[in-house]
Amino acid sequence: MKKIVLKRLLESIPVLWAIVTITFFLIRLAPGGPFDREKELDPQIQERIEAHYNLNAPLMEQYTDYMGGLLSGDFGPSFKNASSSVNELIAQSFPVSLELGFYALCVALLIGLTAGIIAALKPNSWQDYTPMTLAMIGICVPNFVLGPILLLIFGINLGWFPVSGWEEAADKVLPSITLGAMYAAYIARLSRGGMLEVLSNDFIRTARAKGLSETRVILKHALRGGVTPVIAFLGPATAGLLSGSFVVETVFQIPGLGKLFVESAFNRDYTMILGTVILYATLILILNLISDLLLTWIDPRLRNA
Amino acid sequence: MPNTSQSTYEVEQGQSLWKDAFRRLKKNKLALFGACFLIFLTGISLITPLIAPYEYDAPDYALGAAGPSAEHWFGTDLIGRDLFTRILYGGRISLMVGFVATAVSLLVGVLYGATAGFLGGRIDSVMMRIVDIMYALPFTIFVIILMVFFGRNIILLFLAIGAVEWLTMARIVRSQILSLKEKEFVEAAISMGLSRFQILTRHLIPNTLGPIIVYTTLTIPNVMLLEAFLSFLGLGVQPPMSSWGLLIHDGADSMLESPWLLIYPSIALSLTLFSLNFLGDGLRDALDPRVAKD
Repeated sequence: MKKIVLKRLLESIPVLWAIVTITFFLIRLAPGGPFDREKELDPQIQERIEAHYNLNAPLMEQYTDYMGGLLSGDFGPSFKNASSSVNELIAQSFPVSLELGFYALCVALLIGLTAGIIAALKPNSWQDYTPMTLAMIGICVPNFVLGPILLLIFGINLGWFPVSGWEEAADKVLPSITLGAMYAAYIARLSRGGMLEVLSNDFIRTARAKGLSETRVILKHALRGGVTPVIAFLGPATAGLLSGSFVVETVFQIPGLGKLFVESAFNRDYTMILGTVILYATLILILNLISDLLLTWIDPRLRNA
Repeated sequence: MPNTSQSTYEVEQGQSLWKDAFRRLKKNKLALFGACFLIFLTGISLITPLIAPYEYDAPDYALGAAGPSAEHWFGTDLIGRDLFTRILYGGRISLMVGFVATAVSLLVGVLYGATAGFLGGRIDSVMMRIVDIMYALPFTIFVIILMVFFGRNIILLFLAIGAVEWLTMARIVRSQILSLKEKEFVEAAISMGLSRFQILTRHLIPNTLGPIIVYTTLTIPNVMLLEAFLSFLGLGVQPPMSSWGLLIHDGADSMLESPWLLIYPSIALSLTLFSLNFLGDGLRDALDPRVAKD
């Protein structure tokens, strides 16, 4: 087990390096720079700004400088928010995004697993069709449609929840549902499929024949095998949660990293883009590793594969 | 789907498989509805310039944002452009992106997966390791960066989306090929002296068509969703051209005063995604009866 973790961690170093390097050259080779304005600046001022940010140095020198800073954990200054460093901006906004993602995941797991298990227990009955139809709706209504519509109904017309902001508990309800809904739908479908497969196994019949209660059969015997597809899905799903947060944070005006990333991309804030890309990539690599480890923990047969 | 090496059997069995699948598909009402809606939508998209009641970029400043009426079925947007027309044109873009980008991912994914599965051994494990690693990349972020920095043109959009979506296709095709190449009909083909390329293109890939068709149907909605997502962020299709993502974005901005601007494009996108997903599910059940019987 330790060997696998170590191997995977070592493997992700060159991957991260490649991501940073590709992104670095991609954004610098593209036409346009962070200090291009519609009105042309005095060339002297332009030059001074660029010199300040080391932008007129040869490309390779900029690259080695940046990588040197990275190794000591310094993402550099933000080009657009002159007073803050990228580290500070990330430290401010990342916890917000993490919190949002966490709530969304809770919503998704709670609703998804419950719906999936109920559906699997009575296949082809109304208890199956109702949650599965709802799940289909969840998959087909993207978050950038769901967000504004929830906002319109519950935020504006009914006035139950605030329209924007991220302070009180009530602020967090609509964004978490918006972000979690699609994953709840996928989890419901996956857990239904997983449970159906497990429930047809002989050991479930044995458990029932032993006279165990139905709750015990499901929670103790079937659930473990039934949720494997869900766990395999969770690793890649978190990557999707990140891109979902771009939309949800924009719609609900949440000061998180997703909103910051989209803004910095539009502003060509080189260091900010690189900083977020590194953070996201690391996060995705780690989460995928955790999801794989969970899988081998739940299903020991995978350990030798 | 076992094939025999005698060609007469091959033809007969091939036909009955597809006939059988079609018969099963016809029983699935939702899938049939999806197929009909998509055919209808594709038909309309092809003749949009002929039937659209207005120009998609013709403003009517005097009218402004007006609700649905006899002249403007879905109302007009803030500068008086006909929403129905803009949804029609947006549908053209969405469908085009859906089909073209899926075709890109189909081509790359099938060739890559088939090569890996067919060659096997070390080449296979290296090729699939690359796919594993690419799975872990924050692709949406790359697409956003690409669109911001290299101009928002539609060909780049096709390529970027296609590049993201080929990975799963490659995995599916590879696992199919891996199990198929042990079958007797491949041995028969080898003993008849066919080259590896011929075996791959004439015998192996055609036999994986079922899963490929199913997954393709399910890729199109993903692709359309990604385009709408990019357009929603302002990175996809650029105004005055119209796209469903763009319309939803504009609608969300003015949903207080004119909710129809949000509601109609949302319905159009969701209904299309529904149809594609139902058709995909139906096709899977029809082509792989083992799944359906559960």
